[in-house]
Amino acid sequence: MSVIATPAAAHRRHPAHDGRLLTADAPVPRVGPADPLGPAPRDDLDRHHARLGPRPRGGPDLIDDVEAAALTGRGGAAFPVAGKWRIALSATAATVVANAAESEPLSAKDGTLLRQRPHLVLDGLAITAEALGAARAVVWLHGDDDGAHRALAEALAQRRAAVPLDPVIELVRGPSHLLAGESGAIARALDGGPALPRLRRGPRGHGPVTVVHNAETLARVGLLARGLSGDGTRLLTVLTPDARLVVEVARGTPTLDVLRGTGLDVARPPEAVLLGGLGGTWLPWREVVASVVDDGAAPGRVGPSLGRVLGPGVLAPIPPGSCGLAETAAAVAYLARMSARQCGPCLFGLPALGHALAELVHGRARAADARRLVEDLDAIRGRGACHHPDATVGLVRSALDVFAGDVVAHLSGRPCVGARTVTLPVPGIRA
Amino acid sequence: MTRRGRAAATGPAPTERLRVDPVACAGVAICARVASDLVDLDRWGFPVLASGALGAREREAARRAVAACPRRALWLDVADVDDR
Repeated sequence: MSVIATPAAAHRRHPAHDGRLLTADAPVPRVGPADPLGPAPRDDLDRHHARLGPRPRGGPDLIDDVEAAALTGRGGAAFPVAGKWRIALSATAATVVANAAESEPLSAKDGTLLRQRPHLVLDGLAITAEALGAARAVVWLHGDDDGAHRALAEALAQRRAAVPLDPVIELVRGPSHLLAGESGAIARALDGGPALPRLRRGPRGHGPVTVVHNAETLARVGLLARGLSGDGTRLLTVLTPDARLVVEVARGTPTLDVLRGTGLDVARPPEAVLLGGLGGTWLPWREVVASVVDDGAAPGRVGPSLGRVLGPGVLAPIPPGSCGLAETAAAVAYLARMSARQCGPCLFGLPALGHALAELVHGRARAADARRLVEDLDAIRGRGACHHPDATVGLVRSALDVFAGDVVAHLSGRPCVGARTVTLPVPGIRA
Repeated sequence: MTRRGRAAATGPAPTERLRVDPVACAGVAICARVASDLVDLDRWGFPVLASGALGAREREAARRAVAACPRRALWLDVADVDDR
């Protein structure tokens, strides 16, 4: 018996589903893969079907629903999903990839989703592969994420036994370095090359294409295809002193409420909040207080909407007394180490930024050094094969802006008291 | 040249711009010697290209730069294509 239902039947059976992705908020360690610190239920296929019913088949008409819902990618860049589908539909053959390699070190929302509801992500992948007539469907993972690999391998085994019409889904473990999660690197690796960002040159609009979707994006496709509201919430990873908390909030929720809900004492406000992770941007506390989490179509209703600046959905407050420049210098040193070492402006430019920031943090930089730092930012931006150098430049620019007062003090040889401590859990640095 | 012949047959000459593949580029910097009006070097020795469409005389210099690059990192592209 086929367990694949029509969209209408699936919709009728579960009219009251709330459109949430997570079954529970989850604390995870401050660094590393998103293995939960507490008990975390996982939906097996029976539980998944009890919640949502069997998945509908994907067809070319689904692009209209995806477009009407204005679904955008949740990997950080917020690229419209329908746009990627249109490119794939005009190509000769497509590979569809569920990107489960959560590269931003502070983010744990994809890892948490994959551990709690692997079948919802796999539904979205299978539906998208069918909708695009794809020749290949792949789940791409970081090599060191054993927990997510286990969840997905179990889920795929359950599906092979019970869902005979599912497309063949390959589970591929890539390297574990940061850029192994970059979409061009994934496409290159699946074509038999190294898992590094792609060369820019090449024929356009011909031959097979690789459509890479973030895991959360595909989970939302899995809901939309069932006729459910698929995009009413945001998954966030909030950094706390003891853990990262992965939470799901309604779009438009005041950012202050989110932070309070994760235990932040707003009577002792943080120095600033890092949005979007180590490859993100700083926001001063007064702007955080006035803002709401991505409210989609109606920005400014309650306060400025943190849409794109949330990137993959990271909120990382740094405690009062910490030095934003020292935090930034540590993040940039990490990002420089994570360069694919392919493009000169990134290979040489990011360490130069890191060095300049370290000198600034220790009070050894002078005005001319600061001027050269700003010139280097202009020289690096837009000159790599991927957006890694651009993200780094964006982080540094926001730091020079938000911590402008600290820059002046550091330049005059009076660094912040907190400049010796880094509070962000930057991989490879003892916090 | 074939390129010029084709342009003559289809109407006005296509506007072109010089592009570099940053992955292929190794900072050899010959391009900055043969097309110094079109190519600057950053302080690490990697090319920064003039943006915008090339004039007739610039196109000749750009072709020399394309031909000179031992890494084959440079090429001429249609000027309105902008994916960076």
